[in-house]
Amino acid sequence: MDRSTDAQIVARVLRGDADAYADLVRQYRDRYARYALHMLGNREDAEEALQDAFTRAYRSLHRCEDPERFGAWLFRILVNRCRTMGARRGRRSRTFVSDDLALYEAAEEHPAERSAWREEIERALSRLRAEQREAFLLKYVEELGYDEMSQLTGVGVSALKMRVMRACDRLRELLSDVREDREVRKKRGLTEVNDASHS
Amino acid sequence: MRAAWLTSCACCIALSVTARAQTIGDARLARLDSATRVAIVALVDSARRQRLPTEPLVDKALEGEKKGADGGRIVTAVRGLSVDLRAARGSLGSGASTDEITAGANAIHAGFPMRDLARLRVAAQHARRARVTLPLTVATDLVARGVPVAVASDIVLSLARAGLRDPDFTMFQRNVRLDIEHGADASAAAQTRARGAVLHTGRTS
Amino acid sequence: MRAIPERWVERVAGELRRPVQLDDGFDDKVMSEVRRLPRHRFGAWARALRPRTITISPLLSAIAAVLLLALALSAGHAIGMVRALRTGPDRPDGAAERAATNQTSGRRDVQFVLVAPTARKVQVVGDFNDWDASHAEYRAEHRGGGVWSVTAKVPVGHHRYAFVVDDSLWVADPAAPRLLDDDFGTPNSALVVGGEVAQ
Repeated sequence: MDRSTDAQIVARVLRGDADAYADLVRQYRDRYARYALHMLGNREDAEEALQDAFTRAYRSLHRCEDPERFGAWLFRILVNRCRTMGARRGRRSRTFVSDDLALYEAAEEHPAERSAWREEIERALSRLRAEQREAFLLKYVEELGYDEMSQLTGVGVSALKMRVMRACDRLRELLSDVREDREVRKKRGLTEVNDASHS
Repeated sequence: MRAAWLTSCACCIALSVTARAQTIGDARLARLDSATRVAIVALVDSARRQRLPTEPLVDKALEGEKKGADGGRIVTAVRGLSVDLRAARGSLGSGASTDEITAGANAIHAGFPMRDLARLRVAAQHARRARVTLPLTVATDLVARGVPVAVASDIVLSLARAGLRDPDFTMFQRNVRLDIEHGADASAAAQTRARGAVLHTGRTS
Repeated sequence: MRAIPERWVERVAGELRRPVQLDDGFDDKVMSEVRRLPRHRFGAWARALRPRTITISPLLSAIAAVLLLALALSAGHAIGMVRALRTGPDRPDGAAERAATNQTSGRRDVQFVLVAPTARKVQVVGDFNDWDASHAEYRAEHRGGGVWSVTAKVPVGHHRYAFVVDDSLWVADPAAPRLLDDDFGTPNSALVVGGEVAQ
């Protein structure tokens, strides 16, 4: 069976079939959960922002001018929700610790190299300014063009390019510092084990 | 110019005749202002066409009028109720009574997922229970007193599966209420009393 | 500081693009919220009611007016006939439904009790009396010590009701199951009469 298009589902919802909205929720929740999580830094806030965005979108569905692009319209609502929540809550409830020492030690405790790298990325991301984080995620994770980003955020293209560039610079700085120090500590760790085994 | 004037008059007459026919509706709705009455009559007619109970909708409008709510709020409330009634009928099955559908709509309004209403219907049938009006009413009461929806739903389902009858459901609700009034945590009170009620039936879910 | 190649952007973004897992009940939470909202029924009507300019010749408009008048008159007549067929010649709809309930399943005596030591007047209102406090049979009497009560006949079935104290204060029955009736800002109670219950 062919999946209904967004426009078809929106039309059904507007005709009174509220249950059809579940198809749109199912379709977009994972992708947009990813964005909300990276923007807000913790699962609880991300789920709340996403749930709020879906509810607002349903309420205003009759104002969606291009139902075929419901996803983009919903995303705009979510981006705004994340901005509002981010501004309201600051970095109070971030999962990731900003203390560098704890960061290194936590990274070393992870058995898998990959999950440690992931944590480093998340921590570095959390240390970006909100507008830089937003621009970086939209450009490189959500893979939007600058024109789309401009429509979504209301920010001009040149300003967005500047934000993306600064985000990359800052992330590069944070991540290279971490990697360099981790390599040094790893070596130090190996040395300590060797000493212990010979004592 | 003259033709336009005549056209306007003709249209006004035609529309007013049609509008008058549409707004007669339930005589009790005469208490509402005309704009609200038109909207409510439309909602009631729509519900009737879908074979949903209409009395709860009229009742909701009358309640709003008595409580001094403005027309917009009344229409929103009635529209919301018609949505919930439809959802309740869908979950409880076409054989559900008006009372069950109304109680089901209240439960959905309180946040119960539709599938939990369907599960309650199945549990009741297995326990040879004719109606689920009171279990739904008790479920809504639990949520209104602070028990999370998921916990309240599990409790009521387990009581229904255990074959609890209406007098025992009523007793359960009273005991939970009294426990909460005496300072107990709502969830703890409900779960504790539910275990007792199930033991009393001699059956487990 | 060690330089990290530009490919790192794609590595970072690739890591951030990995799917995230939401709470299992997320969809249900969204749909539960959505179902509480007014259903879209008039989306198409809203578009139809948007003002537009149309031009029409005088002759055509006169013909259209005559046809419209004829249609309206016959529609009004048809509505009257259908309503008469459905509800009987003399009864409005809701009253027919209630009368049927009363006749088939009866009414039972129900005692309503409210403790209100400072009240001067207490009445019971609900769907069984169209929320009309003027019915004498639902006016409570003071039994002393702040206890007000009235025993009245209520049709078998599920009901919503409240107390009205001193013609102005709406109070839910503390002893009855509660409803999350937040439509009009004042609480209601639920009552189930008859059936399997001896209330």
